[in-house]
Formats: sequence, structure tokens, C-alpha cells
Amino acid sequence: MALPSHISSTLAHPSSTRTPVYALVGNPNCGKTTLFNALTGLKQKVGNYPGVTVEKKIGTAYSQHGQPITVIDLPGAYSLAARSPDEAVTRDVLLGRRADTAQPDRILCIIDATNLERNLYLVHQILDLGRPVILVVNMMDLAAAAGLTVRISRLEQALGIPVIACEAVNGKGLIELKVAMSRPDLPLARHAWDVPAAIAPAVTELQASLVSHDCKAPFIARAEALLLLTDHDSVRVAGSTPLHARTAEILHTWQKRWEDEGTDWAGALVNSRYDAIGRIAAEVILQTGETGPTPSDKIDAVVTHSVWGWAVLGAVMTLLFISIFTLAEPPMNWIDDQTAILATWVKHAMPDGDLRDLVTTGVIGGVGGVIKFLPQILILFFSIGLLESTGYMARAAFIMDRLMNRVGLNGKSFIPLLSSHACAIPGIMATRTIEDPKDRLVTILVAPLMSCSARLPVYLLMIAALVPGDRVPLLTKVSIMIFMYALGTLGAFGFAWLFKRTLLKGAPPLMIMELPPYRLPRVKDVALNMLERGALFLRRAGTLILGISIILWFLSAYPRAPDGTTDQQQLAQSFAGRAGHLLEPAIKPLGFDWQIGIGLISSFAAREVFVSTMGVVFNAEATDDTAPLRQAMLAAKWPDGRPLFTPLVCFTLMIFYVFAMQCMSTIAIVKRETNSWKWPLFQTAYMTGTAWILSFVVYQAGTALGF
Amino acid sequence: MTTEFQTLSALALVALAATWLVRRAFAKKQNPDCGSDCGCAPKKVSSAPRRP
Repeated sequence: MALPSHISSTLAHPSSTRTPVYALVGNPNCGKTTLFNALTGLKQKVGNYPGVTVEKKIGTAYSQHGQPITVIDLPGAYSLAARSPDEAVTRDVLLGRRADTAQPDRILCIIDATNLERNLYLVHQILDLGRPVILVVNMMDLAAAAGLTVRISRLEQALGIPVIACEAVNGKGLIELKVAMSRPDLPLARHAWDVPAAIAPAVTELQASLVSHDCKAPFIARAEALLLLTDHDSVRVAGSTPLHARTAEILHTWQKRWEDEGTDWAGALVNSRYDAIGRIAAEVILQTGETGPTPSDKIDAVVTHSVWGWAVLGAVMTLLFISIFTLAEPPMNWIDDQTAILATWVKHAMPDGDLRDLVTTGVIGGVGGVIKFLPQILILFFSIGLLESTGYMARAAFIMDRLMNRVGLNGKSFIPLLSSHACAIPGIMATRTIEDPKDRLVTILVAPLMSCSARLPVYLLMIAALVPGDRVPLLTKVSIMIFMYALGTLGAFGFAWLFKRTLLKGAPPLMIMELPPYRLPRVKDVALNMLERGALFLRRAGTLILGISIILWFLSAYPRAPDGTTDQQQLAQSFAGRAGHLLEPAIKPLGFDWQIGIGLISSFAAREVFVSTMGVVFNAEATDDTAPLRQAMLAAKWPDGRPLFTPLVCFTLMIFYVFAMQCMSTIAIVKRETNSWKWPLFQTAYMTGTAWILSFVVYQAGTALGF
Repeated sequence: MTTEFQTLSALALVALAATWLVRRAFAKKQNPDCGSDCGCAPKKVSSAPRRP
């Protein structure tokens, strides 16, 4: 199809007065974000599994001549016929449907050299858009290792666009790519693809209607017409831009005619595309090496085995938690000591008074109690990063799929659930890769049940109080930790099963997930990600937790009791004490007193605030402000002299925190993702209700059994 | 440092913290995300420094 000269000129030569905008698109896990980071110098999260990027990211790269180039990193998509919310972002940006994003001038299409034929399907659709495209063939090293030779010049000839061989991970091909991106004019594709004769008139008629009634540009209109005919669900294809009545009528008329004739129009279009791609692939790909099982296949024979796979997963989790306990102990003790030294110094440097009390009890006691867990947070994220970058996480998803299918979810829900171990918020955002809205909602509802890193300080504090000293073997502590993580996971599966059979009924979906090849972890990237997470943890400790600790100090120190009252009496009659007393009737059946109640209230802002609250509450009444929090808690008693933090109470508190929805940020993000207050409120009610009931059962049963 | 000065300073810090937390809560209502506390990537990232 000939392109009008004024449009052609606009497309091939972005205005010289503004920065050219490139969209970076490709299949999931083909290295888009790695290339984006390499081009822009940014550090967006990458991982060796599909679905890491679920929202567009914008950065600036610089050409060889120092000219700025805007690059938009888009979520991975197998096709422009989007089936999930993240794919819809890619489709809408490319089709110029997003009001918040200008339609890209040019498209940087990246494909995986080891899966060329499958990746070319999206490229083929993108060429329909009539925009200048640069094709980047990534992972050339992996293709060579698999005995594949990709003839770049042949591919360039076949498509008529610049094709660059690249290894984004190693930075190879970047200079050539930047030179190509700097070109003032790019050739438009020589797009040799014949639409099947039976469908071609419909494409032409729909295109004309989309141009005249829906105000689309001619090439976009043609691409949209092809998309409408590739999918049986025209509403899904139209997305946020509903079709004009006339266009919808034309589409319906053609579909009805084909149905009467028994023509599978969507299948014919897809097959026709694959025929064209097959011809290109046959010309371009040479199999030069052996085609036997790859090293990844050999490892997968064990790692995804129905029995050994579980054993490997169990061993990996055990090792992870052992390292959290053992490796972190020396730096944790060091932080503890430094906190104590600082508090002692302040105590000696300042005269007695409110400010000194605020600094030692509120700031050092509250924030120091949380910062202490930094080494364990770092180890957790380093371990998760290593597992992600090797490609093991995708295997874990594959193993879990068997279990998840029984509860009505599929492996695609596993990545969001796994991400929720770091934080429920990225986990909930990762559900955008799930096609079925009901499956997505179920995953959102259960994701916060996975134990996030904010729960880690609570668990560790409780385990320290529950099994103090060196009397208890390390494996017991590890087992308790694994039990809490497993309980959260089983809780998530249990509720998913329940929701899929009641509120959100639907058939168990099939899982189609790509297993990426194993790669050696890039320790630098993993370390950077870990440090970034550590910095965020410290920032949170220095902002939100510091702020809440200061407020808590005030609430526990005011109103002032008359002179001569004990610290315990002061706390009891303070604002915080009164709030705790108000809550006590509801939590006493769980074995919690009003002081723990203060922690439960404050930790609704963020779970780890519980630890800083305990720091403020118990250090406030301890005779020595610098005493470790654990000792202060163990010394706490009920009015009748019984110890407050018995092993049963510590265990019950952990159970409560596994299930309770103690996170305002998560509630806000669920509201945004579901576009309704109904679901976050329901989620808060069912999770907190379950937390109370299970804690009640555990405490009462434990008490009856004499614990 | 007198006791009164310490009390006034402490209360001023409390007021400052309370103001900051309230402002933060209202900011969240306009843009309900985690405020990057959890490592979620921002929608738009600033450009990288120009390379030589």
C-alpha cells in the first residue's frame, strides 16, 4: 500500500526540532529492559523470567553525536492482539491510544535469536503500523551456543529495515544500534505479506471506515482492521477506544458472512502470517550445530521433575533461610551494639528531659530496632535476585503450576505471588500479565497473604523472643520461619480455591509459560538491586518509621502523669495506653494485652512499625533504655505477674501477622488496580477476620494443651 | 539545656512529624501507590546523565 508522501515524510524523519521517540517492544523475556538500561544508563529491574515489566518506562539515550533520544520501554507482548492488561499497554502506546503518551516516531523491535520464528510474529504485526522500525536480534551468543546461525543481512533484505545483531547483556552491538538510531531517515519496511484473498476486502472496508468514522491514520487503521479480524473479541481489541457504530456494523456483517460460510477468518489470518514468517525464517536461520538436549534441558530434567523438583525447591528455600539467620547475625549484633552505644552517649551528653527521652526512646529505640534487620533484608533480596537472574524462578512457577491448578489458578499467578514475598505492591502490579479478569482479581485478593519483607522483622523479633539464646538449634528457628512462609502460601492457595468456587467462579485456566534458558547470574545487577532495596528499607526507616516513632513517643509520654508514678503507670494512662486499653477486650482472647494492642494499631501504617512500636513501648518502661528489645519484652508481665511474651503468645502473634491486612499502601494499590473500594475493603475484612479467628484458635487450643 | 526548652523542642519535633505524616497521607490519596518505598519503579524515570 502506498503511503501518502506527507505522511511518509513525517514518519521517516522525526521533526528535527524535538527529541525522537523510540518505543522498545518485543516478546516477554527477550531482553528489552536490559537493552533499555544499556541505552539509557538507568537501572530498571530485570529478571530471567517473563513479565518483569508491566508498565511503560521512559528514559533518555544519547546518540553517537550526543543528541538526546527518548526511549519508551514497553511491557513484553507476544502479539498486538492483547490479552492481558500489560500487553494492552504496549498495543495502546503503539497505536497512539494513550492520552498520556505521544505515539512513538520510531519502533525499536527486539527479538530473541534463539526463538526467531516465534518472535517475528510480533515484528510482522508491528511492520503493519507503517512506522520506521529497527530490528535488534538479541542473544546472539545463546543462539550460537545452541548451534544456530542467524543471517542478519538476509533478514535485513527480507524485511527492508535495519537489523542489528546484539548481546545486550554484554553491551555488544550497542554502538551499531546507536548509529542506526541516529539516522535522520530510516527506510520503511518492505512488507511482503499478502492478506488472504477471502479476507482482504474486509480489511479494506474496515480500514476505510476506521479512517473516515474513527479518525485513524491510514496505516494505523489497516493495522487495527487486521487486529480486529485476528481476534474474535472485538471489544477487547478496541480496548478503551470503542468502535464507531458503522465500523462495528461492517465488522459484524463480515463475521456473520464468514460464519455462515464456515470460514475461520482469524485462523486464516494467523496462518497466513506464520506462512510468511516461515519463509523468512527458512532463509535466515541456519542450524549449524547439534540439536540434542541443551544444558538447560538437562538441568530441567531434575529441577522440573515431579518429585525431585519439589526436593530442589525445598532445599533452595531452606538454604535461603539458613543464610538469613547465620550470615546476618554478626552485622545484626554490630548494629545492636552501635545503637546501644549511641543511646548511652546521648543519655550522658544531654540532661534529663523530654528531648533526651524522645531521642533515646523514640528515635534510637524505634528506628534502631528496625534498622537492625537490614542485613537480613539484604540477604533475602540478594538470594531472590540470584534465583531470578539464573532463570530458576520460572522453573519454580512451573512446579507450582501443578499445585496451583488444583486451587483454580495457574502458573502465571505464581510470579505475582512470588513477587509479593518482597512486597505485595509490585506483586499486585505484576498481576497485569494475567489475561482472565477473574483470575487476576483472585490473585490480587490473595497476594498480600504471601509473607512480605515487612513481616520479616516481626517474625525475627518473635522468633528471638520465642526461642531465645543458643539453647535452640538453628534448624528450629529456620523451621519456624519456613512454617510462617508456608502458612501464608497455603493460606493464599486456600482462599484462591474458595474464591474460585464462590465469588469468582471460573474454569481453571491453561498455563502457557516460557521457560527461559539458564544463565549465569549477573552478580553486579543482583548486588545493585539488593543495594537499591536496602536503600529503600533505610529510607523507609528514616522517614515513615521515624515519623511514626516520634508520634508514638508523644502518644506514650503524654498526657503526663503526676510526679512519682512509675513508667508502667505513665504508659497506661497515656494516649497510646488508652487506645491499647480500648482494643484490649478484642485481643485479650488471643493472648495479647493493651501494649501489644498499641503495636497492632500502629503497624497498620506498615507492618515493621510493630517492631519500632515495641521499641518505644517497652524501652519506655525498661529501667535501662539501652537494654536489647528482646530482653525488655521478655521482662514484660501481665498485672498478675504472668509473663506477657510466652512462646505461645509469640507464635500466635506471628500467625496474626501472617494473615492480617496491616498495610495501608497495599489497600491503596488494590483500590487503584480494581478501580473500586469494594475489593480492598473486602480484602481487609477477610484477611483481618481470618487472622483473628486463627489466632484465637491457636491461642485457646495452646492454652488448653498447657503451653 | 533547661527542661522547658527540651519539652518545647520535643513537642516541635512531634508537630513536625505529624505535619509530614498528614501531608504524606494526602499525597497518597492523589497518587495511591507505595511512594517507591517498596522498590516499585516509578512510571516515568528521569533521564540518565549524558555520556561522553
